[in-house]
Amino acid sequence: MEQKILQKDQVGKLYSELSKVYTFYAPIKEKGNIVFKKIENPKDIVLDYLNSKIPPKSVLFPETEVLFEYKLDGKDVEIIDRQDLDDKILIFGIRPCDAYSLELMANFFSFHGNLKDELYLKKKENTTIIGMGCNNPRTTCFCTSVDGNPFKKEDSDIFLTDLGEKYLVEGISDKGKDLIQKLSWLAEAKNADIKKANELAKQAEESITTKMDVKEVTKILESSFQHPVWDEISESCIGCGTCAYLCPTCTCFDVIDETDDYNNKGRRIRIWDTCQSCLYTLEASGHNPRDTKIQRCRNRIMHKFSYYPKNYDLLGCVGCGRCIHLCPVNNDLRVILDKILKVEKKEDEKAIA
Amino acid sequence: MVLKMGVEAENQNIEKSMIETANNLLKNKEVDVIIGYSKGTVPLSSAPIIIRREEDTDKLIWNNLCYVNLAKYLVPLMPQLCDSEGNSLKIGVVSKGCVGRALIHLAVEKQIKLDDIKIIGIPCNGNINRKRIEKEIGESEILELSIVDNNINVKGKDFEQSFPFDEYLNELCKVCKVKSPPNNESLAEVCVGECLEITSVEDDFSDLDEYESKSTEEKWDYIIDTLRTCTRCYACREACPMCYCHLCFVDQNKPIWFGKTTEISEIITFHLTRAMHLAGRCVACGACSSVCPMGIDLNLITRKLEKIVKGRFNFTSGIDIETLAPMTTFKMDDSEEFMLEED
Repeated sequence: MEQKILQKDQVGKLYSELSKVYTFYAPIKEKGNIVFKKIENPKDIVLDYLNSKIPPKSVLFPETEVLFEYKLDGKDVEIIDRQDLDDKILIFGIRPCDAYSLELMANFFSFHGNLKDELYLKKKENTTIIGMGCNNPRTTCFCTSVDGNPFKKEDSDIFLTDLGEKYLVEGISDKGKDLIQKLSWLAEAKNADIKKANELAKQAEESITTKMDVKEVTKILESSFQHPVWDEISESCIGCGTCAYLCPTCTCFDVIDETDDYNNKGRRIRIWDTCQSCLYTLEASGHNPRDTKIQRCRNRIMHKFSYYPKNYDLLGCVGCGRCIHLCPVNNDLRVILDKILKVEKKEDEKAIA
Repeated sequence: MVLKMGVEAENQNIEKSMIETANNLLKNKEVDVIIGYSKGTVPLSSAPIIIRREEDTDKLIWNNLCYVNLAKYLVPLMPQLCDSEGNSLKIGVVSKGCVGRALIHLAVEKQIKLDDIKIIGIPCNGNINRKRIEKEIGESEILELSIVDNNINVKGKDFEQSFPFDEYLNELCKVCKVKSPPNNESLAEVCVGECLEITSVEDDFSDLDEYESKSTEEKWDYIIDTLRTCTRCYACREACPMCYCHLCFVDQNKPIWFGKTTEISEIITFHLTRAMHLAGRCVACGACSSVCPMGIDLNLITRKLEKIVKGRFNFTSGIDIETLAPMTTFKMDDSEEFMLEED
């Protein structure tokens, strides 16, 4: 069996062994916020957490990322490509919803296989994911409504379950199983451990009480592009980027060229962008097809629950609930989807009348 | 802070009479819509709401978590709120002191017409510092918040913690001198509860004491350390009633004026430039800090600038409807010292 036990005080040992091979990312607490950072000292790792403030997409798709740099020498230009794309990355302690989000992003960044965003995809390919079950989902979590589960293992290479004093370690993918083989010092799991892990998984799943008929939402959205419900949904939105930046599946970015004329060099970077920004679809002509808040709010919901399903046959949401509990004006996604679900009912009532 | 009754009881009284007032205003057609706060769907929150029908007024709430400055909605909303013939609608705004200040200052800057606004004045007893409480609770979900006997009680699945109300208010609320909207003859105002007569303000800047005791180097380190987790989501800007620019300096892209990355120098450039734009305009509502998803305390820099403006020009924003803000006007006897010189 590929089920082992990692004692909590062995995390440091695991780090020192794996950090020789991998760039090791894990959750840490930075100014009161849980974020995934490259670990220098294993004592910084915080595994007893609800979920990170900034989603771990930041490891593979950072807020600011250099695409390439260049140097000028007279008329000669030297392009300096990224040298770190073959580095092996390990993301430790990631929640199942966020592990799934990295898969969804891979989908987006391969554009149906026609085009490939090498930057993301190469890093993703070189990434080993050690996921961790979510014993205490928040009340704002709804992963079970969007193809997820607090103990969904398939998006991780290795999956951990917090059993209190220790972790149950399960190899999921071949990559994960191979890695566990190499960690020969891990103790064998006992049947009682596996049984306890299963119980915790069941409890966690049952504790998620927010249930939403997202399939129905997708269906309704097909025909509600012009519906007045969007006025209501967008009314309190202030148009910031909190929901998008802290969303594990939001992939939009802006590309910027920066020149440093004094030093004869420059770089092309990409930064996170959000469809809530007034610049988002502003065209060079000055025309903006999404000029109003209503259009921008609609786009965010449509993208996740209508366009994504249409284009990839997948939902663009993993149910982490970050946009719910972090929205500055409490424009709750659950309430938004509920309003959309009621659109159809009203239409039905009309039809009957 | 001395309260005649408990905070909770006071809030309930205000809420009840606010709903009554709102109801009457709509019934008597004194206003067409009311902007207020409704109950949040998560603890430590509230949700701004626009009420159009009498029967919806019971959705209005009042408590110490009404942290959004509702004046924010007026600049973009006013041109849209018209009847079928294009006449502007009358808007009632639930206004604690800093919302009232923002409305007055927006009128001074000619962004809104106060003729179309009815201020529903509320004596505020301060906003809870939600970000501080969230940080201190840490990695447990807060499920319930209540105020009992001047204590903020926070409950979760397997914990319960109490915070003294006076200590866990926003720093700005602790030194606030304008708890209800400033009175002015030209303002249409109804007051819920006891609103104070305010015509001038002796500002209390004691919240700056700790910052000012630092050396220049320490101040710089403090600013870097405070801002370094910023993701540049611009929630602070979008929640700020004074940030109404159609295109913010930081969004200028033909050509780009400011760097847009999350590198610390560019984060600082954004926040300091925004703070400069707020000099003499900030109404000390603290909405920027209350909404920051990363829990960054953004008030200190704007407060420091307010103190300088007060010292040089004896001006407090949002009190007087006649006086232009120092940075938008010029007087022969203006102080000529450069505003950022070391005090």
